[in-house]
Amino acid sequence: MRRGAKSCPLCESGIRQINYKDDKTLSRMTTEQGKILPRRMTGMCARHQRQISLAIKRARYLALVPYLRRSSA
Amino acid sequence: MTAYEIVYVFDSQVTDEQVEEKLGRYHTQLTEQGGGTLSAIDHWGRRPLAFPIRKRTNGYYVVAQFAAPGQALPEFERLLKLDEQLLRYLVVLHDGEPTAPMSIATRQPRGEDGDDDELDDEEGN
Repeated sequence: MRRGAKSCPLCESGIRQINYKDDKTLSRMTTEQGKILPRRMTGMCARHQRQISLAIKRARYLALVPYLRRSSA
Repeated sequence: MTAYEIVYVFDSQVTDEQVEEKLGRYHTQLTEQGGGTLSAIDHWGRRPLAFPIRKRTNGYYVVAQFAAPGQALPEFERLLKLDEQLLRYLVVLHDGEPTAPMSIATRQPRGEDGDDDELDDEEGN
């Protein structure tokens, strides 16, 4: 793992745009309950984190991802 | 003219023909009265909702992309709000994304949207 100049996982993997219709990818960026993971967990750059939070909120409205998921325990 | 993308979520009990009829009606409003042009329609079909909306657990999803002058939108959205069988809709500025629920790694974009328009997005930062 390289540290420094580019540590944002999305920048590293060369992803330019987050699509709010991509529920699979978005749900990986939330907790099990469906909360958006904070920057300190995702390590994303500000730009990507903003895109993701907007994308998740849009996806929630369309019922593609849940607002709240009851934990299975 | 601005490029928009709209996602419709219909009640899944609506038949395919009814969906077509509704879309036809909306898009006629948009293109004929509003002066817009439709560029893509993608039917995702029925899929489960992440949570119930109006006691429905499944929805029929359709994604469409169009260009229209902004003044055409209020009248268009008014039409959508009148439709009880349309559970949700979302109009957003279209930013070159494909219509498919593309998973970054796995899925290929369906339909006519290639990925050619995405390469020039690494400017800045």
